[in-house]
Amino acid sequence: MIQIMYLIRHHLLAFSITLFLFLPTIAGAQTWENLTPIQQEALAPLSQQWNTLQALQQQRLINLAKRYPQLDAMKKQRLHNRLEKWSKLTPEQRDRAREKFQAFSKVPLEKREQVKQMVRQHEAEKLNTPAATPPLANMP
Amino acid sequence: MKKNELSHEDIKQLLNHSAAQLDKPTLTRLHQAREQAMAHHATHCIEPVFSRAGHAVWHAFGTQHKSRLWAATLLVALILFSATAYWNQNAKPDTTDVDIAILTDDLPIHFYVE
Repeated sequence: MIQIMYLIRHHLLAFSITLFLFLPTIAGAQTWENLTPIQQEALAPLSQQWNTLQALQQQRLINLAKRYPQLDAMKKQRLHNRLEKWSKLTPEQRDRAREKFQAFSKVPLEKREQVKQMVRQHEAEKLNTPAATPPLANMP
Repeated sequence: MKKNELSHEDIKQLLNHSAAQLDKPTLTRLHQAREQAMAHHATHCIEPVFSRAGHAVWHAFGTQHKSRLWAATLLVALILFSATAYWNQNAKPDTTDVDIAILTDDLPIHFYVE
């Protein structure tokens, strides 16, 4: 007790400075264990790295998890497949992706469908290409 | 110890002797001063920890008025910085709608990232 009092008395300034500097980080941070079972199910692919994510990113993912129960099975699967890659992007990359998505949403539906068709074809070709090419072509 | 040097006992005796020679009003005033000092000491001991800590911080900046002004300015700056950072973090727009749409869209993420 005396030691604690000594620390408070002599290091209060250092404590205050540290607390003030890290307040934005400390506030809002949540551990994986504190999440509800539904949130844990929605964010399952991130269970390992959850505690290393920034508070803001955690909060955004928790907001995503709220919508999870309303998604159909295919969308739930897509969400799970993409969450890890999404969380590994830099905040700037995610912002850029949001801008691009919003811009693409404003394109007329017909044009959008054409682009989607092209992308699907391109993806299908990419999936078929590695099997057709010799192993050396896959080397970095 | 030198022979002509006074011991603690000698000093005590001399003080008692001198005190005995003081007039009554002076003795009363001294007694009152002692009571006040003892009362202050007792209050000081039960002072809350944080109050004492505050005093310690206050004294860490020295007794100069200028130093204390700097200390107060630094504290205000820290509070402002922290509050601004916290507010900025919470004031970020809600991106849930877009995020869920990107993550469940039929186009892969890299279409929007690259």
